[in-house]
Amino acid sequence: MDATSAPHLIPSEMPQYGEANHIFELMQSMLEQLLIHQPQDPIPFMIEHLHRDNDHVPKIIILGPPASGKTTIAMWLCKHLSTNLLTRGNLIGSEFSSVAAEARKHYQKCKKVPDSLLIRLVQERLTEEDCVRRGWILDGIPQTREQVLMMQTLGFAPRHVIVLNAPDSVLIERNLGKRIDPVTREIYHTTFDWPPEAEVQNRLLAPEGISEVETARKLLEYHRNIIRILPSYPRILKAISADQPCVDVFYQALTYVLTSHRSNAPFTPRVLLCGPTGSGKSLQAALLAEKYGLVNVCCGQLLKEAVKDQSKLGELIQSYFDKEMPVPDNVIVKVLKGRLDQPDCVQRGWVLHGFPQDLDQAHMLASLGYSPNRVFFLNMPLDSILERLTLRRVDPITGERYHLMYKPPPTLEIQARLLQNPKDAEDQVRLQMDLFYRNLSELEQFFKQAITVNGDQDPYTVFEYIESGIINPLPKKVF
Amino acid sequence: MEAVESRELQARDYLEKHRIMELLNHLTSVLLFVRPPKPREYLISLLERLRLAKVTGVAFPFFMDNSNIVAMFDMMDPSGKGTITFAQYKEALKNLGLCIADEVLNDDGHIITLDKFRDDVNMRTWKIWKAF
Repeated sequence: MDATSAPHLIPSEMPQYGEANHIFELMQSMLEQLLIHQPQDPIPFMIEHLHRDNDHVPKIIILGPPASGKTTIAMWLCKHLSTNLLTRGNLIGSEFSSVAAEARKHYQKCKKVPDSLLIRLVQERLTEEDCVRRGWILDGIPQTREQVLMMQTLGFAPRHVIVLNAPDSVLIERNLGKRIDPVTREIYHTTFDWPPEAEVQNRLLAPEGISEVETARKLLEYHRNIIRILPSYPRILKAISADQPCVDVFYQALTYVLTSHRSNAPFTPRVLLCGPTGSGKSLQAALLAEKYGLVNVCCGQLLKEAVKDQSKLGELIQSYFDKEMPVPDNVIVKVLKGRLDQPDCVQRGWVLHGFPQDLDQAHMLASLGYSPNRVFFLNMPLDSILERLTLRRVDPITGERYHLMYKPPPTLEIQARLLQNPKDAEDQVRLQMDLFYRNLSELEQFFKQAITVNGDQDPYTVFEYIESGIINPLPKKVF
Repeated sequence: MEAVESRELQARDYLEKHRIMELLNHLTSVLLFVRPPKPREYLISLLERLRLAKVTGVAFPFFMDNSNIVAMFDMMDPSGKGTITFAQYKEALKNLGLCIADEVLNDDGHIITLDKFRDDVNMRTWKIWKAF
């Protein structure tokens, strides 16, 4: 049967819809839950899972040595994300659970809670309704590798793990100044975090076990355990230095927790590079096309190719070239559509540069049905552009291109005969820049999820920025 | 290590027994085909219909209805003879995902008419849906 052996023409709306609504991630999380719980009746289970809609609730673990500020960070994050905080203290202190009562007995006897009891407590708490709906933050649990493994077997996996680090001496000193407010259970510090209200100041107590010897002992045990816990969370771990002001640690933690990890969803990059002439768009596009197999669609090249092909459109374009007038938008759009419709563009993705130069062109591109899924603005100050462009020269005899600063000609003889492209003259370059900047603010408003990259660096640094922008999921703006 | 392997086997068996991957593939195909503005609600409604159909035995929400089957048959039979060859029939079943590549279908020498094709497609689809 012929129709089935030829390649399928998938309408481009399908992958665009899939990307925009994160269908792959939806199905993936459903499959994960199915495999963890393995219900006898999968369909009602799936219906319930979809109703709960809790794929994006926070599931965070915060680990760190004593006096690193774990509890403070955990409490702040908890308030900010409106989620539930689980600490050993409040788990053991829970009044309604028989497991907690057992744990309390153990604690009173030997000052320690056995691992299995603790993890059972965690399991009990995490299956409660509010944790399922609003997420959870675990403060200081798991403490040992055995606890990690037990949690994994029960099917509770965090999405973000934060580990706070600081040198031991700093921690020992810090712990000496720790004070707790017995009413609110908030932690304060004599030097770094002194409460402003006098009545709170008066009732602060020093907790037990903060002497140097005690802290050193706890640190030793922590170091012994943490080294075996870290490898269990390979891709979701982030280490933050606790040796900085609280607020900085908090902001770093918050930014990390709000990012999503790279997903396995099938993704065809449709990249748009915007920037003034000379910002390096063509170079970046060529690098991207080479590394990822994307189709490099340069608007200027496309028009010249159309002219070469001597098609009807090509002749029309040639007439505009001859008159030195800019080609009208609808002609450009037709040529572009012809190129982007071809199966290699649809399948492999594309990198477009040189096209929407103002808002109308951007609207036209969107109406074609080809919206880019990553937009990059390459910023460059005028001086750097002038430096890059006005010093470009060509040797008329060999055709070799030189740059008076970055790639100077080897001999004086060659230098004497170098010519400059009239488009590279300073006033022309300024004109182009002005034109671009006039339209920039409108374009930035149109492409709301665009990423700005500093173009004034060496090409491979810029390339790495662009790469990370394409590969990582787009940041969700929460504020 | 044994515990890990046996749990993995257990998981694979679970997937096969309830035909989860086929169900998820089907759900994704329907979503991408229909492209509803609210995918979650649509998925819930699909699953509810499926659950009802299973419980009450009422018609399953088939993906291909009768007109599609007739159209497919006509595509394979351009001259309008009314029959298709066995090879075409096997290819068609493979493309619809209704038979595994290695399954041996008996070429019993009978020609395949439209009715036989339709009944066969329906029976296979019903067998698959019954297992969800």
